[in-house]
Amino acid sequence: MRGWLEEAGFDPRFTSLVVALALIWAALAFATDGIFLTPRNLYNLSIQTCVTAIMSCGMVYLIVARQIDLSVGSQIAFTGMVIAFVQTEWLGAEAPFAWVASIAIGIAAGMVLGAFQGWWTAYRGLPAFLVTLAGYLMFRGAAFLVADGQTLAPLSTAYQRIGGGIGGSIGTAWSWALGALACAGVIAQAVYARRSRARYNAAMAPVWADALKAGVTCAALLAFVAVVCAYPEPGAAGGAPEGKGIGIPVLILAAVAVVLAIVARRTRFGRHVFAYGGNPEAAFLSGLRTKRVVLALFVLMGALSALAAVITTSRLNSGTHSIGQMAELYVIAATVIGGTSFAGGIGTIPGALVGALMIQSLDNGMVLMDVSSAYRQIFIGLILIAAVWLDAIYTRRIAR
Amino acid sequence: MTPLVEFRAVSKHFGGIHAVDGVSCSLHEGEVVGLLGHNGAGKSTLIKVLAGVFPPDAGEIVVRGEARSFESPAEAREAGIETIYQTLALAENLDAPANLFLGRELLTPWRTLDADRMEHEALGVISRLNPVFRDMKKPVRAMSGGQRQTVAIARALYFNARILIMDEPCAALGPAESRMVLDTIRRLKAEGIGIFLISHDMGDVFEVCDRVTVMKNGAVVDTVRVADVTEEDVLAMIILGEKRRK
Amino acid sequence: MKSHTKQFAAALIALAAAAFPPAALAWGEIVGVSWSNFQEERWKRDEVAMRAALGAAGARYIAADAQGSNEKQLADVEALITKGAKALIILAQDANAVRPAVARAKEAGIPVIAYDRLIEDPDVLYLTFDNVEVGRLQARAVLAVKPRGNYVFIKGSPTDPNADLLNAGQREVLKPALDRGDIRIVGEQYTEGWAPEVAQRNMEQILTKNGNKVDAVIASNDGTAGGVVAALRAQNMAGIPVSGQDGDIAALKRIAKGEQTVTVWKDARALGRAAGGFAAKLAEGAKVADIKDAKPWSGGPKKVTMRSVFLTPIAVTRDNLDVVIDAGWASRAQICSGVDRAKAPAACK
Repeated sequence: MRGWLEEAGFDPRFTSLVVALALIWAALAFATDGIFLTPRNLYNLSIQTCVTAIMSCGMVYLIVARQIDLSVGSQIAFTGMVIAFVQTEWLGAEAPFAWVASIAIGIAAGMVLGAFQGWWTAYRGLPAFLVTLAGYLMFRGAAFLVADGQTLAPLSTAYQRIGGGIGGSIGTAWSWALGALACAGVIAQAVYARRSRARYNAAMAPVWADALKAGVTCAALLAFVAVVCAYPEPGAAGGAPEGKGIGIPVLILAAVAVVLAIVARRTRFGRHVFAYGGNPEAAFLSGLRTKRVVLALFVLMGALSALAAVITTSRLNSGTHSIGQMAELYVIAATVIGGTSFAGGIGTIPGALVGALMIQSLDNGMVLMDVSSAYRQIFIGLILIAAVWLDAIYTRRIAR
Repeated sequence: MTPLVEFRAVSKHFGGIHAVDGVSCSLHEGEVVGLLGHNGAGKSTLIKVLAGVFPPDAGEIVVRGEARSFESPAEAREAGIETIYQTLALAENLDAPANLFLGRELLTPWRTLDADRMEHEALGVISRLNPVFRDMKKPVRAMSGGQRQTVAIARALYFNARILIMDEPCAALGPAESRMVLDTIRRLKAEGIGIFLISHDMGDVFEVCDRVTVMKNGAVVDTVRVADVTEEDVLAMIILGEKRRK
Repeated sequence: MKSHTKQFAAALIALAAAAFPPAALAWGEIVGVSWSNFQEERWKRDEVAMRAALGAAGARYIAADAQGSNEKQLADVEALITKGAKALIILAQDANAVRPAVARAKEAGIPVIAYDRLIEDPDVLYLTFDNVEVGRLQARAVLAVKPRGNYVFIKGSPTDPNADLLNAGQREVLKPALDRGDIRIVGEQYTEGWAPEVAQRNMEQILTKNGNKVDAVIASNDGTAGGVVAALRAQNMAGIPVSGQDGDIAALKRIAKGEQTVTVWKDARALGRAAGGFAAKLAEGAKVADIKDAKPWSGGPKKVTMRSVFLTPIAVTRDNLDVVIDAGWASRAQICSGVDRAKAPAACK
């Protein structure tokens, strides 16, 4: 079965991941009397997944390059506080474009944190585990110091839309437009890929396989749009409320994921990251600037943590220094469940997204089932072990 | 005739250890020079100096009559020097075209990787070396020793190396694959490429090398023409570290 | 623009200096304070008041921060004893894990004050705000606004014993209405680490499950209340009664705007002052039994009788916001910024 899938150009690991997710969804729908699959809950699920998913896109790159970042939760806290500080204490929450400035400054702050960790790891040769463990402690402390432990609230009214709450989605018209555009993009990309291979008379997957892949992807995209458009904006004044459409955090995630997926598979930089992860010595001997690559990955992670902080603080409409607790564990878990290997050189963005969705679906569904937090933690931990175990079996099969 | 490469009293030490101590030797066009010696004699370090992995501490390297110093492997490659390391320096998770073009990837007009063109080019050069090796999508980890060697050699060939360094190319290969490598070396020689060949197999050395330079403890024992000596002579030079008595 | 940069720099230096013993305030007996996790928002105010009270009584202050670790708290207490502390104030990270530390202190003849968090030991002085009373005040304020309907409990951290004490007080007040059927509990979840984002997510799910048929939320502190209010706003339901605790500025602002009903304010300065005063006396040789204000109490899980001093928390609603303003806890400008004049509470007019 696996061989057949590979012949047809499907990634068997990703396929099994999607099947697993579908089974989990079916089980949760059954256990919650269908509430799990209502448009409202799926919309909420999409928003709740974004923070972890955005960061796991960066974590894929790091783990592929045989690095790790244990400080992402603390990075969220620090950059989140910086953003809130800029809005509430420095520029004033309602000052025009204060929120834009705060986001820019927050991302810059995240990149500085990343550069700090990246410099010690890449140029001073310290193990990433230890450097980022230190970061985990330091950045959390720094987050406290930004406002002396106080919560900074409320934030700019314009900024609140970014979190996906009231007014935080793009409505039905735009959602369908984007969905159609995305579909067109998927189909165009498939056609272009075939044409490019045909130019060199290279072997290709059968037409039906490519058509099936494009078709399934398109169907999934349009189904998502249909679902989120079926969720009416709560408390809209008078008349038939319009559907919410795609939430803004999801748009941010989509942009991040698409860009990083393209970089991973189709750019020199991405190829160099994977080569370094596969064999750092070979990368060096092939003339790759390995230190700059590793530094860049940590800086990227810092920027993504700041983006995650934007969404979190916007959702909460406040900056607290305690946000992002345990985030690093969920992000790493999502990345690993999605097929990224700690040995380096292997990992995909789509896999990490499905991994994040899987973990969040379990948490989301179990609260709907009134399961207490203790049981939820045990259960999610068991799923993580199962996922890594299955991954180990799969990798052993390949080696044989 | 100006040598392609000349080492002039090159030294390289690590801490107190003189890995390479005042070594002088040369390589001409269309010539294969064997570098022989025990483990730790300094052969690998010497070729790494040529390959730009580390700069020499003393002496100079002259390439086509011009003194050069390479700050990085990329600079050596630009000078037309390609190295095939004993460990092959291949990324196991990537396929043949990716490894072949590593660091020198072909791009589309939009600055993305032109994967299809790289596959096509790789197929071209690899199938000339080994006509039955056609699966360009296989990752290196799924390849046999001979196939990996082919990829490494193809990498050197594709970029028109004029100076090739091969470190124990047949060490991990079976007889048929070794034969293929030796035939390739002869073909490359005929095209005017100069090759430094590190090998411990006397049979291979005597088959393809024109001259051999024997090293011991970082220094050159002697450089002799293969036609003038026997295998026993060379062995004696390696073991005893003494020049051949005529 | 305020001089936050200066404060920032000073705080960074202070953080570095915290690794070394702080300078002595005055000559006199040494009082050692073992903080569980100084990083949490409120303890700074406690510390300031404590040091002032100790200084006024002529005692010296030394401290250590366990940074959330039980093991470190044990080591901290031993270090404080070694440095010559004659009395200890312990903010326990974990009520049971801290007992060996208390035992060490007793061996050395050093009296211990259990600060804010319970340490069940008959020789310890338990000084706290009555946490059960906090829970009662929270539930009472919400019940007054919404005597019937669907209620949700957003509780505190599952590892913090205070969370259950609060919930006990809340349930006690709601019990008659629950028994009558006026109130139903339609959702109940702990909040790991008291984290606002966790509270927000849990509240979102509870609202989904109940189709928004939620009439009131008993949140156990202001951080989680913030998460709850964020979830309610996304459903255009902000304004239903929500409780809280700690008197955070953000919460006081929400009360002024009508998005939160009550925050139970424990003037941390009063607690710190009391602790400093008692500790100074104990360090000079008084016994726990001599502390006049202490009464016997055995409401803990093991029902151990302890001498305890309970300070009274105050429920702050929109009707008595000036209490916090007059006490200098927060300013009118801070609380009332952005409040619509027409709907403003009395304190903002």
